[in-house]
Amino acid sequence: MSAIDFQQLVDGQYAPLYRFALSLSKSEADAADLTQQTFFLWAAKGHQLRDRSKAKSWLFTTLYREFLNRRRHEVRFLNIELDEVCEEEMSISPNAHAFDRATLLGALHEVEEPFRAPLTLFYLEQFSYQEIANVLDVPIGTVMSRLSRGKALLRRRLLSKEELRGNKVVAFQSDRRKESDG
Amino acid sequence: MDNREAKFILNAYRPGGQDADDPRFAEALEQARRDPVLERWFSESIGFDSTITKELCAIEVPVDLRESILAGVKVSRPLRSPLVRWSIAAALISMAILGSLIWHNTRSAHLAGWQSQALDVVSSLVRNESSFDVQSHNADELLAWLRANHAPAAQTLPQNLDKLASVGCKTFSWNGKPVSVICFMRPDGGLIHLVTIRTSAESDRELKRQPRIMQQDHWAMATWREGDNVYMLALQGPRDQLRAYLL
Repeated sequence: MSAIDFQQLVDGQYAPLYRFALSLSKSEADAADLTQQTFFLWAAKGHQLRDRSKAKSWLFTTLYREFLNRRRHEVRFLNIELDEVCEEEMSISPNAHAFDRATLLGALHEVEEPFRAPLTLFYLEQFSYQEIANVLDVPIGTVMSRLSRGKALLRRRLLSKEELRGNKVVAFQSDRRKESDG
Repeated sequence: MDNREAKFILNAYRPGGQDADDPRFAEALEQARRDPVLERWFSESIGFDSTITKELCAIEVPVDLRESILAGVKVSRPLRSPLVRWSIAAALISMAILGSLIWHNTRSAHLAGWQSQALDVVSSLVRNESSFDVQSHNADELLAWLRANHAPAAQTLPQNLDKLASVGCKTFSWNGKPVSVICFMRPDGGLIHLVTIRTSAESDRELKRQPRIMQQDHWAMATWREGDNVYMLALQGPRDQLRAYLL
């Protein structure tokens, strides 16, 4: 890869990679370091990737693995039950417009990491469930489960913040009774 | 499919509409079209997702990050710990004292010109008379930096060398050919140096993949050829110590 190609890759991907790293690490310094490390690894190993159209996916996968490698020595993986998603949780609908960016990011950071990673890829990069499965190396069903659960957790966190601020909850609360399963 | 299952699937539906033709969503989308309650939930959900996407995509990125990446400069990773920093300093000082005492006795007619100059460079580094081009404990970063700067760099490190923390790397030119040196910290506190130069047919014809080990006074050196590169691994100590890093 030429220096120009590398620069184009950096220009196109460094910002979304940083945002993904920030969502994972919760620290701006760590996010910047993870982003740099990812491009260092690309410079070292990217030539092994034959299909250049997969460079973006490679970068996100590598950043995620690097994050997991670093975290392995810090905190053991949270033993979170990927249980069935409760429909009630999926129906919580806080008013996202009522929050500033910092609050939204704070709520996202409060979502447990196994759900936060797919959620961030979904929101930030508009990755499909298939692409998320590739990046995180998990089955498609797991991605869908984590997206559902992750969104429910995010809504719950935002709802808590909304209630703390005394805002009215905008939700399907009244509709839920009417809702049929059919 | 009930509404709970439909919601489960539709939660993976991207708000930009990219998944409209994906058959995995077809049944759930159809369900949402038929059921006004589900349709309203889906509409709210898409709106929620769009708002989150918009806000998260607007998170500011450090202004110097792009330049730092392109320049290959690390802006945020400090040395691992003060202990490691002090151990590196102690190793460099002890190497400097030892090196200054024995350096004049280490030359040999068996060394190629680039090898001799590489040992000069290493000696200069350990005596703190010159500095590394880049310092990092991660050898992959140093290798990446070398490649980015068109300097010779190993494709893969010897297995036991790969386990060591690197200290830094330096490049120099010998007869117009670029040469690189990466210094690693050994568990005993000493240093070991990997020198890399690209193969030149006339001078490296005799070199093989199997390392040729030499002992010159206090220096143990191993030289071998692999692919387009010729490598020299050097440390101050007996050759048996060196063998451990050639595995």
